[in-house]
Amino acid sequence: MSIQVRAVSKAFGDFKAIDGVSFDIPTGELVALLGPSGSGKTTLLRLIAGLESLGPGCGSIRYYEEDMAGQPVRKRRVGFVFQHYALFRHMSVFENVAFGLRVLPRDKRPTRRQVRDRVHELLALVQLEGLAGRYPSQLSGGQRQRVALARALAVQPRVLLLDEPFGALDARVRAELRQWIRRLHDELHITSVFVTHDQEEALEVADRVVVMNRGRVEQIGAPGEVYHAPRTEFVMNFLGQVNTFQGRGVGRDIQFADITIPSSDLRERSGDVRVFVRPHEFEINATRNGKPAFGATVLRIHAAGAVARLDLQLPDGSLITAELPQDRLAELAAAHGDRVFVSPRRVHVF
Amino acid sequence: MAGGTTINIASLGRAAPPALRDVPLVRWLLTAVALAFLGLFLLMPLAVILAEALRDGIGAYLASFDDPDALAAIKLTLVTAAIAVPVNVAFGVCAAWAITKFRFPGRALLVTLIDLPFAVSPVVAGLIFVLVFGLQGWLGPWLSELDVRIIFAAPGIVLATLFITFPFVARELIPLMEEQGVEEEQAAMTLGAGGWTIFRRVTLPNIRWALLYGVILCNARAMGEFGAVSVVSGHIRGKTNTLPLHVEILYNEYSFVAAFATASLLGVLAIVTLVLKSLVEHRVRRRIERAAAGEGVS
Repeated sequence: MSIQVRAVSKAFGDFKAIDGVSFDIPTGELVALLGPSGSGKTTLLRLIAGLESLGPGCGSIRYYEEDMAGQPVRKRRVGFVFQHYALFRHMSVFENVAFGLRVLPRDKRPTRRQVRDRVHELLALVQLEGLAGRYPSQLSGGQRQRVALARALAVQPRVLLLDEPFGALDARVRAELRQWIRRLHDELHITSVFVTHDQEEALEVADRVVVMNRGRVEQIGAPGEVYHAPRTEFVMNFLGQVNTFQGRGVGRDIQFADITIPSSDLRERSGDVRVFVRPHEFEINATRNGKPAFGATVLRIHAAGAVARLDLQLPDGSLITAELPQDRLAELAAAHGDRVFVSPRRVHVF
Repeated sequence: MAGGTTINIASLGRAAPPALRDVPLVRWLLTAVALAFLGLFLLMPLAVILAEALRDGIGAYLASFDDPDALAAIKLTLVTAAIAVPVNVAFGVCAAWAITKFRFPGRALLVTLIDLPFAVSPVVAGLIFVLVFGLQGWLGPWLSELDVRIIFAAPGIVLATLFITFPFVARELIPLMEEQGVEEEQAAMTLGAGGWTIFRRVTLPNIRWALLYGVILCNARAMGEFGAVSVVSGHIRGKTNTLPLHVEILYNEYSFVAAFATASLLGVLAIVTLVLKSLVEHRVRRRIERAAAGEGVS
């Protein structure tokens, strides 16, 4: 384990930013800290880096079994990439990347030639060879981001920490850069943690996702695991679209929208429950086919895209969204105002 | 469609002139008022100083500086500035650093206190030092036992000047450092740099122009301060007279040529200060424009 976070808490005044968080980051993995704003993910990242101080009795953070308590940031050998890059504005790209090497203690400091070779090697890695002489103000957002990354990698950090690395970029650059970061990680295998509020980003890039909410960890797992088997309502809601129904638990069955189906975990329940169904977990038919199904009226069909999206209205007036493959939509041949039958393939109850 | 567009533009064109018609007149008027004011209150006095100083010819002008008292005044002024400016640079940088990079109790109070010398009359500032260090003051008896003279001596002048000029550097730096934030310093920290290295290689280069600007203003005030220095100096010729005080003495003794000649030195200082100030401003503006143009590249 490169990094162990154990029972870490951090408060700012009365506000508990982090509340008893524990998790491990295995060596060489790319981990996402995912959560809405105010969930404490950035504070946690800064605690790991040492940019926020961890109070006594507020848990521990270990790097490779070594307790980091009282270790100042500059001794931790972390690579930190700031959301707004924090490049040194008065230095050229070359000098920015070289900074970490030039401030090493005299006995470890590389020679001028070694510095030059290393900087050019890093600039090649981030595909900015020709821009060594430019100043940060002359670069685009994506280029600045890559300079910040090269600068952080120059000191051969034990762990790379990235705060909302794609947050300040426009959508297209974002998509490119996150694939590029993933490939870079596969090349370098440096233990990395990045913070994001974008679930798509986390699920696409990370090996492992730590979902956070209100200073606590909601769930930790591989992207597929947190998406398909969410353990809490929050994770269900936060990762992807979901339809919510008011229902009732009766033994191992769940009743909602005038159907009764067995709950997927077969646990005994009674009383009111909230039922969650993802849009792609509905089956839609023009007629009843024997499966438990409820009636609905088609309000709108969004046919553009890989899957078609249907806005449906239930008899009680509530709205749901369903997604189905284009060929299923063609078979269904539904139009605005048609009555269809909806049967959930899978329901989630917590 | 095209016809409609044309009509719109035409009607806009017709509507515009009446709205703009007053503007040239107002512009000329305002410019004339501003220039007349500048001429009357700024340029004319400077011209008078030079004219009066040179009234008896360049020989008499230069002779005014041959006086040992005048030379002593010049020397004392330079020494005072040479002490006050570096001390206030150090203080200003420390204060601005503390205020903008850390949150601590009493921070708001410190910000307010920095402005104190601007808020009190210089005469009051001088009196404070007399009350503290003077013979009848709090520390007076103790100091006289040690045979240290502060009031009516050079140390008092330096102290008063320090007090008067201490806001200049800090006030130039605080807004800039506030705006620049702490992220670059934090980035340097994660890269392994220690405190002094961070200051020297990250903070200082980012604030150098504001710092220079503050130094220029601080220096001008240190050399030109009259009120506070006048109270603590005692006007001992050749010993505790600075340039502004020397001008006053000469003037009161009806040595007009010498008074104006000495004043012209202060006038030259003012002009040099203004030139330096606008050079620095020009540099800063160019940097900002370059940075802005750079943003455009993305």
